[in-house]
Amino acid sequence: MLRTILLESRKIGFLAAVLCCGLAPAQTSLSVASRIVASANAFLSSLDEGQRSKVLFEFNDAAQRMKWSNLPTTMVPRAGLKMGDLSGPQRSAAMGLLAATLSKRGYEKVLAIVEGDEVLRVAGGGRGSMFGRDLFYISILGKPSVKDPWMLQFGGHHLALNITMAGPDGILTPSLTAAQPAKYTVDGKTVRPLGAENDKAFALINALDEGQRKQAILNYKVADLVLGPGQDGKTIQPEGIKCSAMNASQQAMLLELVGEWAGIINEQAAAARMAEIKANLSGTWFAWSGPTTNGMPAYYRIQGPALVIEYAPQPLGGDPTMHIHTIYRDPTNDYGKKSLGH
Amino acid sequence: MRRMGVSALLALSLAGGAAAHRLDEYLQATLIGVTRDGVEVEIHLTPGVATLPVLMAVIDQDRDGRISPEEERAYVGRVAREVELRVDGVRAPLSVIESNFPTVEAMREGLGTIGIRLRTARSGHELRFENRHLPQVSAYLVNCLAAPSDGLVVSRQQRDEAQRSIEFEYSFGAGAAAGPPAAWIALGSFWPAAIGMLLVARMAVLIYRAKHDKRAVHPL
Repeated sequence: MLRTILLESRKIGFLAAVLCCGLAPAQTSLSVASRIVASANAFLSSLDEGQRSKVLFEFNDAAQRMKWSNLPTTMVPRAGLKMGDLSGPQRSAAMGLLAATLSKRGYEKVLAIVEGDEVLRVAGGGRGSMFGRDLFYISILGKPSVKDPWMLQFGGHHLALNITMAGPDGILTPSLTAAQPAKYTVDGKTVRPLGAENDKAFALINALDEGQRKQAILNYKVADLVLGPGQDGKTIQPEGIKCSAMNASQQAMLLELVGEWAGIINEQAAAARMAEIKANLSGTWFAWSGPTTNGMPAYYRIQGPALVIEYAPQPLGGDPTMHIHTIYRDPTNDYGKKSLGH
Repeated sequence: MRRMGVSALLALSLAGGAAAHRLDEYLQATLIGVTRDGVEVEIHLTPGVATLPVLMAVIDQDRDGRISPEEERAYVGRVAREVELRVDGVRAPLSVIESNFPTVEAMREGLGTIGIRLRTARSGHELRFENRHLPQVSAYLVNCLAAPSDGLVVSRQQRDEAQRSIEFEYSFGAGAAAGPPAAWIALGSFWPAAIGMLLVARMAVLIYRAKHDKRAVHPL
């Protein structure tokens, strides 16, 4: 099912791009940015006037920009258009825009988080009305353009994507990914939306030698995200082991792990971001709190000059390994402030 | 200016949305902002659904199920008394700058967060903070904010296992006096407006001078 949605949405995004630019498929050499803009325009043109006024915000609308949370939308209301209020074609166009903006694996991760919330809805009984794939919102700040900056937001319970487009640059920070349940089954297949974030981190901590682990593992418990929603603009003192104290193989493992967040955005933007993170690697830290056996709940943080990633299992729901919150930030470029010259 | 930067940052965060949904813990998350002329302590308190009765027993003195402004003030005062900040080994008095409370309904859902901001003018090189508020039901986070633009250097950070306390050494090197990083959005329209006003003022001066010169050449 996920695969079908993915293929359909990517197809729609691609077709929208082709139609909007008036090009035959064989002739397309669209840049990533123009493909995204075309998908955005295709989505906007699928809406009526009332819907458009709901989904569009001024680019400088700071209140809307910061209106995101890990909490259900019934508890922290989001603005924009609700997926459940869109017609089938409109919804496909919205997802097509998301598919055009993200990488394939990033889009799959997003769908897996959304579907996880649907699982929570079905299992939720009376409280199920707080969850589900209908309760995700989309909004656009500014006018989609290959030149001028604009922003796409998509989120709901356990998901907040804040994507600033500034010419060829695509900036995904700050964004929140989370999952509950962190493991579920669809059509006999096990889905773990944040499974790679978990497994690659445990592989890394276990690849460190005893002396390195001693540096990396904090002597205290971390109960939640430190720089989660509402903490824009802040950074904390880094702790743990510095990547300069890791060998090349361990550094490669860390970069692989970081790629689980940096690689959510489309490949072109992700490559630029990964290059930046790699260039700052010697000043990047890795900190761990909790057991080092995979399957147990453990918190970790990766922090560099232009990077904050936190992964925090949550006690709510009984088994902390089944309820994960993560945050991805760039203190120098959240909401694209660096790319916009601020 | 530098102190205002940290203050603005902490103030912004007090207004920020609730980030957690908790069950059986009272999450007390503290951020410490160190400046050249003092220390600010920001505490976010999020009661889990199961811990709300314990908290309400502490706050709701008249047991009417609501939190009055007087009860808010009394609770903030209690928290301020039950945390301890020491700068260079000497207890630093903390005064309340700001606080805000969510609705009781939000706290019943496990997502309402009480925000309290405290400050002392004491500055030094060694800091120790300890939180002794409601330890039986609480989980703690405590961190020192980084301020590289102020040249803040923090070393020897140590915490206890539960994060009820933190101690560290700090100093200030040469740092650029940059504004608060979060302020860029709010200031986004300031510079174009300021430049526009300067241009208008310049035009007005030029027009005035042109008229004045004309009068000088052709006096009545």
